[in-house]
Amino acid sequence: MSYFRITLVRSAIGLPRRSTDVLKALGLKKLFHSVSPSVAGQIMKVKELVQVEECQYRLTKQEVHLERKPDPGYYTEKSCSEQRGELGGQ
Amino acid sequence: MFKSTQALFGGLLWKTPWRLSSPQKARQRKRLRSVDRVVDTVSAALERNGQTSKAVSRWFAEMPREEEMLPKDKYTLFDKKEKSYRKSIHKLPKWTRVSQRVNPPGF
Repeated sequence: MSYFRITLVRSAIGLPRRSTDVLKALGLKKLFHSVSPSVAGQIMKVKELVQVEECQYRLTKQEVHLERKPDPGYYTEKSCSEQRGELGGQ
Repeated sequence: MFKSTQALFGGLLWKTPWRLSSPQKARQRKRLRSVDRVVDTVSAALERNGQTSKAVSRWFAEMPREEEMLPKDKYTLFDKKEKSYRKSIHKLPKWTRVSQRVNPPGF
């Protein structure tokens, strides 16, 4: 089972009502759609406005968020709770 | 405040250039390629699942790809009111978000 990962990259402002309605029907908050002829037809209607990838499984909202998260620029060698535990032991 | 420029004052003066600049043409090619990529992805995914879609097969039957198109068709389109029967594609409303690839044969 594979999925289309659809991202809206251009707006449908000023385009025919049909394009807006198709985008609404695709519900792009959902992001992942299973591969089927009906979804393919919908993508073809708005092919100028979206980018499509094929994925093998659905990513969760959390995973999608983590993909976009920038590198923090630092890393912790030891967590605070660990350090506190050591201090408490002494 | 009203500023008397030639465009505002003199009636018929069109400020839209009649031809595309080269960066505009480059971006047009980029957009054509991105549409090709979307259609390719969709058709490959359907094929892997053993399905077909009428819209996709029709697109492949009727539309040329970006690399197959002539520069003439990429940047201009047919217009019966023009002397050369062609006008620049940026005269087409919403030209960055519509697919305009084929023109009448012979023009």
